Amino acid sequence: MNLTINGQAVQTDTPADMPLLWVLRDQLHLTGTKFGCGVAACGACTVHVDGQAVRSCVTPASLVVGKSVRTIESLGSAEQPHALQLAWIAEQVPQCGYCQSGMLMAAAALLARKPQPSDADIDAAMTNICRCGTYQRVRAAIHRAAGTTQTALQSSARQEVSA
Amino acid sequence: MKRRTWILSALGATGALVVGWGVMPPRSRLGKPDTMLPTQGDVALNGWIKIGQDGSVVLAMARSEMGQGVHTALAQLVAEELDVPLARVRLEQAGADAIYGNVAMLLGSLPFHPLESEGGAKPTTVAVGEWVVSKFARELGLIVTGGSSSVADGWEPLRMAAATARASLVGAAAAQWKVPAAEVTVTAGRVQHASGPSGHYGELAQAAAGSTPANVAPKNRKDWKLIGTAAPRSDLLAKVNGSAGFGLDVRLPEMVFAAVRMSPMLGGSVGALDSKAALALPGVQQVVALGAAHGSSAGFAVVGQTTWHARQGAQAVVAQWQQRPKGALDTQAIAAELQNQLDRESGFTFFTKGDIDATEKSASKTLEASYTAPYLAHATMEPMNCTAQVKDGAVEIWVPTQVPSSALAAAAKAAGVSPDKVTVHVTLLGGGFGRRLDVDFIAQAVTVAMASSGKPVQLSWSREEDMGHDFYRPMHAARLKAAVDAQGQVQSLRIKSAGDAISPRWMERAVPLLAGPVDMPDKTTAEGLFDLPYGFAHQHMAHVATSMGVPVGFWRSVGHSHNAFFSESFIDELAAATQKDPLEFRRSLLQAAPRYLAVLNLAASKAQWGSALPAGRARGIALHESFGSIVAEVAEVSLEGGVPRVHRVVCAIDCGTVVNPGIVAQQLEGAVVMGITAALWGKIDIADGVVQQSNFTNYPMLQLAQAPVVETHIIASERTPGGVGEPGLPPIAPAVSNALFALSGKRHRSLPLVA
Repeated sequence: MNLTINGQAVQTDTPADMPLLWVLRDQLHLTGTKFGCGVAACGACTVHVDGQAVRSCVTPASLVVGKSVRTIESLGSAEQPHALQLAWIAEQVPQCGYCQSGMLMAAAALLARKPQPSDADIDAAMTNICRCGTYQRVRAAIHRAAGTTQTALQSSARQEVSA
Repeated sequence: MKRRTWILSALGATGALVVGWGVMPPRSRLGKPDTMLPTQGDVALNGWIKIGQDGSVVLAMARSEMGQGVHTALAQLVAEELDVPLARVRLEQAGADAIYGNVAMLLGSLPFHPLESEGGAKPTTVAVGEWVVSKFARELGLIVTGGSSSVADGWEPLRMAAATARASLVGAAAAQWKVPAAEVTVTAGRVQHASGPSGHYGELAQAAAGSTPANVAPKNRKDWKLIGTAAPRSDLLAKVNGSAGFGLDVRLPEMVFAAVRMSPMLGGSVGALDSKAALALPGVQQVVALGAAHGSSAGFAVVGQTTWHARQGAQAVVAQWQQRPKGALDTQAIAAELQNQLDRESGFTFFTKGDIDATEKSASKTLEASYTAPYLAHATMEPMNCTAQVKDGAVEIWVPTQVPSSALAAAAKAAGVSPDKVTVHVTLLGGGFGRRLDVDFIAQAVTVAMASSGKPVQLSWSREEDMGHDFYRPMHAARLKAAVDAQGQVQSLRIKSAGDAISPRWMERAVPLLAGPVDMPDKTTAEGLFDLPYGFAHQHMAHVATSMGVPVGFWRSVGHSHNAFFSESFIDELAAATQKDPLEFRRSLLQAAPRYLAVLNLAASKAQWGSALPAGRARGIALHESFGSIVAEVAEVSLEGGVPRVHRVVCAIDCGTVVNPGIVAQQLEGAVVMGITAALWGKIDIADGVVQQSNFTNYPMLQLAQAPVVETHIIASERTPGGVGEPGLPPIAPAVSNALFALSGKRHRSLPLVA
């Protein structure tokens, strides 16, 4: 199968119905994209196919032939991190980190489509599951990267040591 | 048997051992330089610290990073004492030496009432119990991450190891420069003397090696620069660019992948197995039988070219499963049996105070309520997995585990080799929450690797296997009763609970050395019920230990996770029954527990308790101590289409000395979200032996759009550090439920809240 992954043409020995997730992880060793549920319910496997956020665990590899697939490994580079990656660190988003590749790819697709997302836009786009509960920091980081502000309801002091 | 009698007799069980061994001082945790892995160019100064040629510091890391930030927080302790920037500390997985064993976690399993240790001097029973267990834990050397204990455990040994290393290095500089050691300063890793000479640790390490400086003490807290600051986590760059290495990300030359299917009937076994269709599939290599081990159900693994090939193969195997010999498990039957046992049994008394029988007899009225909580799955985002290679009589495993000691023992046992033939690489954990304190999947991986001609095998579970073969938080039930006198004052609190104990079953599975009878008194059954801070004059708390057969395990905050729902909901009921404000009622009972009162007051004031809220919204409050920390939470809740929606949660915590307030906030935010998921929807049902929930589609998780804003307020404290990973969880279910009562007048006594 001839695929285009992160701008590179690659050839793999892949059955047509094998989900893209396993091509990436087990055949190409691009392990940044995660397995979480296998039924498109959690979003840990989110990648971009022609710029759209797609859940790769239920996307047969044959469907992405001739399309551009991008994974977390090409979201930014060491020299030039994506604005979301910088925001993620500034807001100290990840805990265990396992779902975060998918979160970032979903957020990047959102910003590409809607550079100034509202809280409602973020609510609608970010349906990824995080068991560590990083949600409010994910929201804050998306706003930070977009240069937008949260509604008063969503914004609040996060920590404070009382005298 | 009374609690104290039991503790003393349990301690006495180590009898003869204690007599001779007890007079020796506790084993030092400083360690020798050769305890650390020898690495080119680095110089080890003790069992925890090596110095690199470039002056960087290598820390032996004996705790697993599962999101709780421990790799950052423990490195902070060391960077502080060595006066190096946090970024100069590199981590190296600690070996198997006993100095790395977790002492604090075992201390946390002692069933002492926390109020006994509130004052300056601890009572003799507490002091003796802790001394003996601490000494025993040091000998045992169990390397384990759990019980929110990592910082508490590392607090003394890590700071001492770093301070000792610093003293050696400063001593070497002083000798080299012929100046008094007291005049040598270290700033951001730069060692210097006012007369001119300077250098970095890498230039002094050889000369410092082997020295044993005396009278070393950790820094005075007024000199701290790093402890107490929200230092950025060191693991986040790798977690935003996909390079962080979880268990499932291990890739080795010639590696094959294995998928697992286990008996869907918990505790069941494999009857006939037809592998023909599976083996005929392209990319499928072999089918390996898996026996029941370390608490798992029996099943088989299918090995293939990729995880997908292996899973296709696993689905193609036609298996006849057999029910466990004792009959099919059923959660409805278990729920009924818990009530039967509560009717019948008096249970083991964990706490008693005053004269409860007389108080109840003379009461003008009594209030009674019955509470229940269901089984829960952990559902870590990264399903269970382990990569193993068995070659030339040696075993190597790469595994996301909370308990490397047990992982090593399980791998050795599965391979039939001695423990010194096993190497354990601990990867990052895609969530732990207690699930990775078990080692069932490790034995499976080694078993498959044994059959794979020396090739490395990555064995992983599908989400369905993971949810269907967990060690579940046990179902528990409790009955609570209060006596009110003629003046409307609550005089007594009686609690009786029932449910399976976790610790003895876990020991049997994961630490057989410690295993005892499965119905032995276990603190985890009663925590959150026997240890309440409220000053009722008469109290009695007992637990009926049951044996229902469902595999049960530690689930984030363990017994506290359901017991806080029972106790803090009932406290709210008592406030309502005596026409008191829930906050005022609690305050009136906390006069002898000033730290609890301060935490409660902080949460209430930051949440503006009592101020007006938008129509359709109400507040609920809960207060709970667990793992050495006190947390109060105020939840603001509404009903949207009949379903509770939590908008805002204000948390206050007293976790003793704070190492990293940023991580504390992260943990409270995370605990609140996990706790809301559990409170609203979390339940595992078992019918005909089969777990009915299988994936996030029928075991739903709170999502971003439903997540509340969580605020964290930390009490400044100079006490030794308490736990942080778990204590935020217990109060959220009662806070939400109490808010629902304030909103609608409906009292929930059963979890989940949304049936």
